[in-house]
Amino acid sequence: MRTLVFIPAWNEADAVAGVIAGVRDHLPDADVLVVDDGSTDATAARAAEAGATVASLPFNQGLGAALQTGYLYAVRGGYDFCAHLDADGQHPPAEVARLLEEVRADRADLVLGSRYREAGGGDQSAETIVGEDYEATLSRRIGISVFRFFLTLATRQRFTDTTSGMRAANRRVMELFSENYSPDFAEIESLQLAVREGLRVEEVPVRMLERVGGASFLTPVRSAFFIFKGMIVLLVGQFRPRTER
Amino acid sequence: MSAALLTAAAAASEEPTVQLTSQTRILAALIAIAFMALILELIRRDSLQERFSVVWFVAGLGMLAGAIFPGLLTAVADLMGVRDTNVALFSIILLLLLGLTLNFSVIMSRQAAQITRLAQERALEKAREQADAAGNDGQTASSRRETPS
Repeated sequence: MRTLVFIPAWNEADAVAGVIAGVRDHLPDADVLVVDDGSTDATAARAAEAGATVASLPFNQGLGAALQTGYLYAVRGGYDFCAHLDADGQHPPAEVARLLEEVRADRADLVLGSRYREAGGGDQSAETIVGEDYEATLSRRIGISVFRFFLTLATRQRFTDTTSGMRAANRRVMELFSENYSPDFAEIESLQLAVREGLRVEEVPVRMLERVGGASFLTPVRSAFFIFKGMIVLLVGQFRPRTER
Repeated sequence: MSAALLTAAAAASEEPTVQLTSQTRILAALIAIAFMALILELIRRDSLQERFSVVWFVAGLGMLAGAIFPGLLTAVADLMGVRDTNVALFSIILLLLLGLTLNFSVIMSRQAAQITRLAQERALEKAREQADAAGNDGQTASSRRETPS
């Protein structure tokens, strides 16, 4: 059973090495791949120094294309499971390990880490994570609740953290996402797609931290545009033909 | 009341249709010829690929035909139920341009997807080289080679 953990990174030279080290600590058996999405800083070099394999896209392609690169690498490398987390240090590797346990136990095909789902019962690993807890801004909270509503409507399944970039997947999901992954609306459309294809998607409550470096790209105007675009994408996605597999 | 309406309608139908003046026709013909010459020059300079030039040539020829045979345009206007030939002309051109720009968006989308896949393939190739060179245990490297593309 081989596992790949990949980290999409765009100009995260300050944070990426720490994330890689964390993944190596918590998932010593996993191969680590950093998908450098056309960074103009030293992200690729730092990642390679930290011992990760680096797939460098020649120019910035957006998160969707970067994630798909990771899924492609996993499919072609013959990995059984894969997981990805953000390069900015928001996602504790210990939580990624918990997500992977879910897919390894075959309780789901795709598992998302959710900041908002209440933890049920004893949450053993969360206590050991050191860092400031994640606090969402207002525009982000509005966007998230809008997406939550529409995605739940579209999939008839309850999602709390639709834009979560911390996920674990098995072979079936890898094969689907390596061929069909929207470059524009990676997080949300991929969930809709997975549910439509009859895959078992599950959320697991996780802790997320405040980012180490960089700033969120969302301003209120951008958020509004982002939400509008997301609604169109979801609407169109409902009429997309199912892939034959 | 109805009689008044009828006479108004009759008067309207007797109103002569608006034709292109010979001045506009000459101008249109000149523009069409210049346009096609420009297309030829662009192809000659390798700035425009032949397969994308076809549609523009057809547009140029259409323009020329409309200028030389004004009856053509009037016939189309009649078919559309438009009395003013100029309005018919603008409508046709507007629709054609709409279709053309949509066509370009489709081509752009396809090319964007192709470029993305190309970039991904290159990134993956380099990553695989790096992984093999770093000599992750031999087993991993060999299983990677077993599944090329």
